[in-house]
Amino acid sequence: MSRVIAPLLLVVLALLPLWLKDPYLLNALIITGIFTLCAMSLNLLLGFTGQLSLGHVAFFGIGAYVSALTALGFDVELPFGLVLVVEPGSPLLGFVLAVLVTALCGYLIGRLAFRVRGAYFVIVTISFAEVVRLVALNWVDLTQGPLALTSIPNMVLPLPGLGETVLRTKMQNYYLVLGMAVVGYLVVAQLVTSRFGRAMRGLQQNESLALSLGINATRTLTVAATLSAAMAGAAGSLYAHYLRIIDPDVFLFSYTVTMVIMVVAGGKGTLAGPLVGGLIFGLLPVALRPVMAPEAQWIVYGGVLIAILFLMPQGIVPALDALTRRLRRARPAKSAPGAVEAGANP
Amino acid sequence: MDQLLQHCVNALVLGGTYALLGIGLTLIFGIMNVVNFTHGALYTFGAYAMYLAAVGLGINFYLALPVAVVAGLVLGAAIEFTLLRPLRRSDIDTTMLVMIGAGIILQSGALWIFGGVAKAIPNPMPDQPLNIGPVSVAWVRLFVFAAALVLIGVTYLTINRTRLGRAMRATFQDHDTAALMGVNVSLIYTATFAIGSALAAAAGALLGPVYVVFPQMGDLAAVKAFAIVILGGLGSIPGATIGGFILAFAEEIGAGYISSGYRDAMGFIIIIAVLLAKPTGLFARAERIG
Amino acid sequence: MPLTRRTTLAAMAFAFMASSAMAADPIKIGVNQPLTGAFAASGTYVVNGAKIAADEINAKGGVLGRKIELVIEDNKSNPTEAAAVAEKLITSDKVPVLLGAWGSSLTLATMPKLEEYSVPMVVETSSSGKITTSGNPFVFRISPPSAVEAEAFEPIAKKLGLKKVDFLVINNDWGRGAADDFSKMLKANGVQVGLVETMDQTSQDMSAQLAKLKASDADTIMVTAAVDQLTLLFKQMAALGLKKRVITTGGSQNPDQIIAQAGSAANDTLHLTTFLPWWPEKTPNAEATSYFLGEWKKRGFEFAGVTESFRGYDGIRTIAAGIAAGGAADPASIQKGLWAVNLSGLNGPIKFEKSGPKGKESGQSKPQVYLIEIKDQKIGHVQL
Repeated sequence: MSRVIAPLLLVVLALLPLWLKDPYLLNALIITGIFTLCAMSLNLLLGFTGQLSLGHVAFFGIGAYVSALTALGFDVELPFGLVLVVEPGSPLLGFVLAVLVTALCGYLIGRLAFRVRGAYFVIVTISFAEVVRLVALNWVDLTQGPLALTSIPNMVLPLPGLGETVLRTKMQNYYLVLGMAVVGYLVVAQLVTSRFGRAMRGLQQNESLALSLGINATRTLTVAATLSAAMAGAAGSLYAHYLRIIDPDVFLFSYTVTMVIMVVAGGKGTLAGPLVGGLIFGLLPVALRPVMAPEAQWIVYGGVLIAILFLMPQGIVPALDALTRRLRRARPAKSAPGAVEAGANP
Repeated sequence: MDQLLQHCVNALVLGGTYALLGIGLTLIFGIMNVVNFTHGALYTFGAYAMYLAAVGLGINFYLALPVAVVAGLVLGAAIEFTLLRPLRRSDIDTTMLVMIGAGIILQSGALWIFGGVAKAIPNPMPDQPLNIGPVSVAWVRLFVFAAALVLIGVTYLTINRTRLGRAMRATFQDHDTAALMGVNVSLIYTATFAIGSALAAAAGALLGPVYVVFPQMGDLAAVKAFAIVILGGLGSIPGATIGGFILAFAEEIGAGYISSGYRDAMGFIIIIAVLLAKPTGLFARAERIG
Repeated sequence: MPLTRRTTLAAMAFAFMASSAMAADPIKIGVNQPLTGAFAASGTYVVNGAKIAADEINAKGGVLGRKIELVIEDNKSNPTEAAAVAEKLITSDKVPVLLGAWGSSLTLATMPKLEEYSVPMVVETSSSGKITTSGNPFVFRISPPSAVEAEAFEPIAKKLGLKKVDFLVINNDWGRGAADDFSKMLKANGVQVGLVETMDQTSQDMSAQLAKLKASDADTIMVTAAVDQLTLLFKQMAALGLKKRVITTGGSQNPDQIIAQAGSAANDTLHLTTFLPWWPEKTPNAEATSYFLGEWKKRGFEFAGVTESFRGYDGIRTIAAGIAAGGAADPASIQKGLWAVNLSGLNGPIKFEKSGPKGKESGQSKPQVYLIEIKDQKIGHVQL
């Protein structure tokens, strides 16, 4: 199913701005795209290794702060009377550093957190995100704390022959996010179909069996966590340079919840799941806004979430898979390619 | 020295509250393997039920408390019956997301019905605090502390001394075997969720008069409850009780002598440290992986 | 419910909404406020105040011969949503001017959008200094930043004879900003500054901070927090037997709600506020205050809400005056018109002064600041 949905979505999304000129909807799509990128990275952990991280927003926020601080420059007092002064740099450098720093954080957290599983892992990750939020809030010298980092420059892109272009318009940012989403999708797709991907799914399905086959659980999970964190960090960087202001609210727990909803409702462990879930739950609030009271919008949001999980406990994409399989069986045709789906088999 | 004494008394009183928040969650977490994201909403529900009973209907303060607890019991049973029972075989993240959805609906419902302005519940206790030497404590806090200890004791005895409790413990250890032994597992699940919800509502009803009542009051309460449960180990009532006191002491001492900005971080730092040292929590009775 | 309802069902249809406004069409004013989430109560109050102003203006014939129409959107107490709402109001609803967005982080998040589309916004509540010092010429603020409040407090501080002051502030831009600006002013006047304690904006139990403040040798505690936390603080101070002079700042105190909910625990506290609804005759514009209070009562809202909602009322009146002064209902004319506003607001003259880097100044109005006192569960005006 992913092999049909993903290219189809890409074509539609790539052509959309040709007729959709409304900046508000483009803005909604850009934000949705950024969170979908986060959802794809979360899927790497939750969907393919079965580890539910409820602290994913930490990597998103760290990425946003690293990128913004690199672009804005800062000076901060360190212990032993040292002062670290960083001059304002290019947002592109910020992006690269955001990816590297969050990858490192993901690696360290992976090493620590994967000593526990299940509900305990959930809580360790929540705790980590909360501690990071409180550091961002209270380390005022570095992060400006609640006073927020403002006037963050837009992302720049070095174009061959044109020099560096500052991405100011909605359209430019839209294609930047779309491009990053495609890269993210391809990385995840490559990874899960590789030998490493088989090791991850082996761990998800039966950890003891996988271990007996010589799979190094902690190492496999740590690599997945590192990549996942780096992708979320990239999304955070895009967010900071698009919105141009960040404060400790980028660590809001509700952002993590949004990401998890996107993954699980779309279909965890499928490549297209986070895309479908991301678009639905990213745009649902936009669609609800004009038709009902603010409180009612939230109630419907919660209701839609419950309804999807009740009707399609595996998520939307696996449900569509099952539907097409049934249709095919009812009307036998030549075996279609793409019926075997990475990780979609229950 | 006076300051330290006051911090200790504060922590003791606060710890009782935290323990009360934790035990309802640890029951559900441990026995049903459900990460109950409606815990905060049920806490809020209990507080509003108390407000409606005591202020809206004018029922006597001490009689309004059980009314709110029973309301929580009924709501909990209804949630289990309609939302969790059909998903018994689903994995932990599906039920967790359904609970998140239900929590969003409950919280937004409270905002819709009552509005965002905080409500106060008057209490019949004297306004003047109890002074013992350099230390002061409010009477209403003492009442809540005592009530919390009673509720914790009753819950502990229910689990360890009654037939229902035995069936709950059997289900906690192995629900398939329990079912084979003739335990009605469905009923146990409903009862567990209802009791856990009633405890959350009781915490809300008791703390509503201490603090103020507003739709988002459950968010922070739920975070603390999760921290306490993990500290104490899943499914352990004594663990949650001691976890509550540890968290309260860590916060008080942390805010008093380190930095008040990191007050709320203390709990999480302890959790991370505890889990790294002893991954199943301090007082876990049985390990449960998956 | 106070909402924008449209007959258009699909969100996508927004793209096709016509922009051809006819002359007789109402002038739209975008209102970007938190109606759900942590600040729902305050945002709803501001919106209700704004509606009173809009109805009053329309009853008197509108502005430039056209009615005004509020387009109210919920920013969910979330900065990302606040920016998205600004975008929606400006590009989909084509509002030429905005009112918003209550909290400082919400307002800061909308500011790049104002620059992007060159649309002015009147800021009614936010207090962060950055809002009017970062060089955004589309921002016009009628609420006092903490530096202005501290400046107004200076003569009062001298008369109170403060010796040493501790701070207890909410840990956000509002609280931190207040602690910084008041400390600076107090130190310049030879007053010692002791502890600066913070509390999370969701905290309900501040006993640890209060125990520390109780043990300190300062004579006064200055507190910056919103009404709900103040209520809790006074109750918890009483429970700890903490008896020092307490002065609250920030203008979100809502003394009636504090008295109703904290009871005798609120006695002998001092509050810096920008509006005196208890004595309309003492306010700078007694007639407008009486009208506003009467209308508020007629609509069945709680009196306690007026200390928040008057900002929405003044905000809309400021915008209407800006439109009238600009002579046309397009963003550029309104931006120009706002500089010419000279209105008698409920808390003093509303008149914008330049603030921030040269050439890109934001507008800042300086409201009056009063000191009030709660004694025997009654509110009194402290005349010094």
